[in-house]
Amino acid sequence: MSNLNQTMVEKYRNDFLNEVRANVEEGDWVNMCMQCGVCAGSCPLGPYWEHPPQEIFMMIRAGKREEVLTSTSMWMCTSCYNCIARCPRELPITHIMHGLAHYADRLGLAPKEQPTRKFANKFWDNLTKKGRVNELKLGLALYFMNGFMEGIKVAMANQKLGLNMIKTKRMNPMEIIGGHGVKDTSGLHAILKKAREIELAKAEEFKG
Amino acid sequence: MADEMKIGAYICKGCGIGERLDTAQMAQIATRDAKAAIAKEHEFLCNADGIKMIQDDIDNEGVNRVAIIGCSRRAKVEAFNFKDVAITRGNIREGVIWVRPDTDEARETTQDMADDYVRMAVIEAKFCKPPTPNEETAYNRHVLVVGGGVTGMTAAVEIAKAGYSATIVEKTGALGGAAAKSWKRIPQKSPYADPEDTGVADLIKFIEDSDKITVHLNSTLTKTSGAPGRFSADITAESGSTTTENFGAIVQASGYTEYDANQLPELGYGKSDNVVTQAELDAMALAADGGPIKTKDGKEVKSVAFVQCAGQRSDKEGHLNYCSGHCCSTSVKQAMYFKDQNPAIDTNVIYTDLRMPGAGGEDFYRSGQRKGVTFTKGCVTEVATGGSELEVKFKDLILNEDTSEKVDLVVLATGQVANSGLNIDEVGQDEPGEWKTNPESVLNLSYRQGKDIPQLTMGFNDSHFICFPYETRRTGIYTAGPVRRPMDMQQAMEDAVGAAMKAIQAVENAGKGRAAHPRAGDLSYPQFRREGCTQCKRCTVECPFGAIDEDEQRFPQFNEARCRRCGTCMGACPVRVISFENYSVDSVGQQIKNIDIPDEFEEKPRILALACENDAYPALDMAAMNRVEYSAFVRVVPVRCLGSVNLIWITDALNSGYDGAVLMGCKKGENYQCHFVKGSEMASVRMSKVDDTLQSLSLEPERVTTHEVAITDIERAPEIINEMAETIEKIGLSPFKF
Amino acid sequence: MADIIATNETILVVGGGISGMTAALEAAEYGKQVILVEKEAGVGGRVSKLYKYFPKLCHPTCGQEINQRRIKMNPNVRLMTMTEVTEVSGEEGNYSVTLKTSPRYVNNNCTACGDCANAVEAEFDDEMNYGLGKRKGAYLPSRMSFPQQYVLDPRIIGTPDANAAKEACKYDAIDLDMQEESTSITVGAIVWATGWQPYDANKIQPYGYDRFDNVITSVEFERLMDPHGPTGGKLLRPSDGKEAKNIAFIQCAGSRDRNHLKHCSRICCMASLKQTTYVRERYGDDGKSTIYYIDIRAIDRIDNFFQNVKADETVTFIKSKVANIVENKENKNPVLRGVNTEGYDRYENEHDLVVLAVGMQPSVPAGDFPMNVVVNEHGFIEEDESNGGIFAAGCSADALDVNRAVQSATASALRAIQVVNRVAGTEG
Repeated sequence: MSNLNQTMVEKYRNDFLNEVRANVEEGDWVNMCMQCGVCAGSCPLGPYWEHPPQEIFMMIRAGKREEVLTSTSMWMCTSCYNCIARCPRELPITHIMHGLAHYADRLGLAPKEQPTRKFANKFWDNLTKKGRVNELKLGLALYFMNGFMEGIKVAMANQKLGLNMIKTKRMNPMEIIGGHGVKDTSGLHAILKKAREIELAKAEEFKG
Repeated sequence: MADEMKIGAYICKGCGIGERLDTAQMAQIATRDAKAAIAKEHEFLCNADGIKMIQDDIDNEGVNRVAIIGCSRRAKVEAFNFKDVAITRGNIREGVIWVRPDTDEARETTQDMADDYVRMAVIEAKFCKPPTPNEETAYNRHVLVVGGGVTGMTAAVEIAKAGYSATIVEKTGALGGAAAKSWKRIPQKSPYADPEDTGVADLIKFIEDSDKITVHLNSTLTKTSGAPGRFSADITAESGSTTTENFGAIVQASGYTEYDANQLPELGYGKSDNVVTQAELDAMALAADGGPIKTKDGKEVKSVAFVQCAGQRSDKEGHLNYCSGHCCSTSVKQAMYFKDQNPAIDTNVIYTDLRMPGAGGEDFYRSGQRKGVTFTKGCVTEVATGGSELEVKFKDLILNEDTSEKVDLVVLATGQVANSGLNIDEVGQDEPGEWKTNPESVLNLSYRQGKDIPQLTMGFNDSHFICFPYETRRTGIYTAGPVRRPMDMQQAMEDAVGAAMKAIQAVENAGKGRAAHPRAGDLSYPQFRREGCTQCKRCTVECPFGAIDEDEQRFPQFNEARCRRCGTCMGACPVRVISFENYSVDSVGQQIKNIDIPDEFEEKPRILALACENDAYPALDMAAMNRVEYSAFVRVVPVRCLGSVNLIWITDALNSGYDGAVLMGCKKGENYQCHFVKGSEMASVRMSKVDDTLQSLSLEPERVTTHEVAITDIERAPEIINEMAETIEKIGLSPFKF
Repeated sequence: MADIIATNETILVVGGGISGMTAALEAAEYGKQVILVEKEAGVGGRVSKLYKYFPKLCHPTCGQEINQRRIKMNPNVRLMTMTEVTEVSGEEGNYSVTLKTSPRYVNNNCTACGDCANAVEAEFDDEMNYGLGKRKGAYLPSRMSFPQQYVLDPRIIGTPDANAAKEACKYDAIDLDMQEESTSITVGAIVWATGWQPYDANKIQPYGYDRFDNVITSVEFERLMDPHGPTGGKLLRPSDGKEAKNIAFIQCAGSRDRNHLKHCSRICCMASLKQTTYVRERYGDDGKSTIYYIDIRAIDRIDNFFQNVKADETVTFIKSKVANIVENKENKNPVLRGVNTEGYDRYENEHDLVVLAVGMQPSVPAGDFPMNVVVNEHGFIEEDESNGGIFAAGCSADALDVNRAVQSATASALRAIQVVNRVAGTEG
């Protein structure tokens, strides 16, 4: 069990709902669900969800911490916003799903082999380094995500696409060394640090 | 009006009548056969000229009975509105030309039909007097309010605000009822977000300051007698002293008792002090007064589960088979007691259907969720009381699993049981003269039919009418609040205002001798020929409104102000001593007897149709508007209610050579639609005995049929008539043609 | 309408639906002078378009017959149809009200013989049937119409049809020169009972009311059952006129939804439960009803109606807000998609007909009241002292069923009487 997870378990004991409300982006909304299921029915990836959003909300209320945070379900969200558009109670379901995924990841409970999680982490790492996505590095990182041999195979398969992108200036091979970024990288990092502090403080202030 | 009777018959030729029928012949029939003094035809009777013609005859010729032969009695009522004369209508538009084909073949039978309706309208006029108000009126602007809870107090306050006075009789030692024992109430105003003050103190203050409201605490009614305008009530205090007061009307706001949670041992009630009812929780909150709510052993409650529908919406023996309506909102209110005091307290509402309707309900539900109250769709099976905490075991219907929750406190949403007094359908009434107080009764009425208002269902004194929610079966006594049906405080208060409206209206109507709903304003009343009465008690037993008592000599005692003018007593009376001035055994019976019965060789049967004027008759009218045809052999007579049909009409009809009779009334039974509650049921009971009559006449039983006809039965009502015509064709004409 | 005599002891009731009729009649039967104004050509309002009431399954026209008779018999009620309130000024006990009466083009000579309708060619959507059928340009709005007088549709005025109607009338009842009239009256108190309208189902895009023939609203479904309705009382679906036997009812179609009406409309659950009994009435065991719901709100003692419907094996309940509807192109059957949240089951269910239990929206939009009253965010008039002598009745006050609307109307009659009694000085 990760340290953070340990801390949270002790802090909230049986009160997973309050843990979510305090620590998950837009988690405060979980309580507003009235179990109509329009989100579940409206999701284009619906059949792939082990637990659809409204069920996750119910599981949160029922204190099913482990089951929720280790679930692959919220990683299925593609941010199409259909659920938000239709939710009769105005729940920002898309955001909550991402929030839950992020929180699970922070606690180290997210399913390790979940490809969306892997991609998201690579993307985040790549982005936060310099404030700009290094597409070449991100692409390569993804190719080799599942091991070296697999990476070579994928890279070979996409060779033509890559060359075309370089030809049409959609990709710069020079990005492999360093790459471009925002002017004030340390400023960016300070912003990110502050954002994390705010997030934690919000959770700290939460009174149930 | 005591002058000699003079009937004017006026035959309209408009709307195609003139083209289809020989109206000159009809005018002749009116004077020659039916003995009208005057008979006139007019091209367009309902226009100003036609009306003037009739009015002139009334003013100058002394016409005091007017028979209008033209359209249905439901049409042009405003035009044919002549003061101080009796008016009858012969329906030859909707009743004849619109339901008959315009063919040479049909001409003769159609004309026969119209001729008979002329005879009937004129004869009816002969036997109808314009009603004079009954003299036994009483005017009393004082209203008795039974019950001093929020409903009763609101009723009294509203009555006072309208300029009347009210007396509240309250069983306990204080005003306020259940509300006074609550900390707060469900919000009644936008944004419907937080529990609000109960408002009890304001009501009590108004009552204390008002010189129009008197309060009797620790008091009950030990006898209530009389009728609207002249109710007399014995108000007996706990000490035993009794005062007698007179009232014009009564509002019964006797409220409810919380369902006995001891019948729910599976939910831990009685086993643990920490399983409480909603009322008990409100008392705890009242004691806490905004501070932390504590369990009996002094611990602050940190987690609480609300179990909805505890002993409600259940078929189990001893449970309530209804929903009490307010409990979902009440639980949300109570969960907010905790959340508003300390948001960290865990509050969970376990429900199957969350019922918080309307604009306020949904807002309040959302507000609860916003405050962190959680809701679980589930069925609670058990509250285990063994451990240090309570364990609520339930099936989570969303997650589809059996699970449990440990809490400090369990609140059971038990329902409301109406304080409706005795179920008079089960408990008999004392014999007249041996009148005893029954401790369970609320009103202790000295009525022949029982001490309390008849219960509709599930113990509630509700009206059965969707369109007329205040129509109890005891005129001048109106129920309000949870005794009528389960409800929350806001609804009870609104209900009290409505009942107050009906009460002061009853006061005014009683003062003028006018009938109450549904024949509002009707001045006629049952008149009774005592000499002929055999004391059979049928009228006193069958009156749907309990209007008729028995006097010391066991004769029926009509209380006109309690009467709704349905005529059920008239229909019940085997010796025909009960009649109304404008509706009597004769006014209908003579119509039936005075039509032309062709002899058997003409092969023109005659069918009598007695149709409820409110449903079957309009259905036939509307069938006519749609030009649905039916047999020319029928003669339709509208009746106030099938309950007013006296068997003699049928017997006379058969004796005079009618070949069949159909009776069309409203639906009876549990979901009755009869406007006079039991009228159509009474009729069907009586008609079940018509077979004996038929047998004694050696007639086939299929010649008389009784049907339930709704106002929408525009196809079926004509069909019923046609079927009877077919039946007669099959079994042959009656041998009683003279 | 110069003969309207009204004083500050008169009560004005706005709206001639069941709430308005009730308020007017209760006040009049008490003894007050009442002016009852109705925008349409006759009284009856929304309920006159229903086939049956829950929970008794009796017919609204039955109560309407009684109420109409009460009006006919009561000289205290003066009914003004085709009339709207355009302006209200003054205060409790003394209001000046301006009324606008639209031309009916038919006067009191009308005998309702129907000759004008036979003479007129033009046809229009029948409002009585929510446009599911047609009516003539000269018409009696319904068989129950009161006053029982025909109306000429203003769209035929100036066309040969109008003259044809006039020529056909033997009673000089048609007056093509009728103009809009304005009347000013003084009243002491006002009961506002303008009722509700069904929420516009076109706005619920995922359900395709505007695209699919066989998706209809609950109020339209009522018309299909009515013997006076467009199908003569048969459950024929719009796409092909075939009998619809497998019917879906979608609850909260526009209610309890921040995209539409935020409030719960209260009546829809019971209305759908009631409508499943129509399916049984028509088809017995061969019919099939499915109710898609969030919470079944069969409140108080009428919960037993729900219990009885639940016991009917032809009725299925699915806890789900339907996500969307698509159409089976071959047979035009609507296909419903969603998730049953009791245990998480995805469904894709094909039905013959879908009935949207549409929500209840106040008839008068919040900004359109001709007077100052407190209106809540849902558009209902709140009880408030600042409303003075103006009292809401029925669905102008909240989403109510018929029984509660009538209760509310009875209560507002008393409130109005209290005002005019104070004016009359009978208080002391």
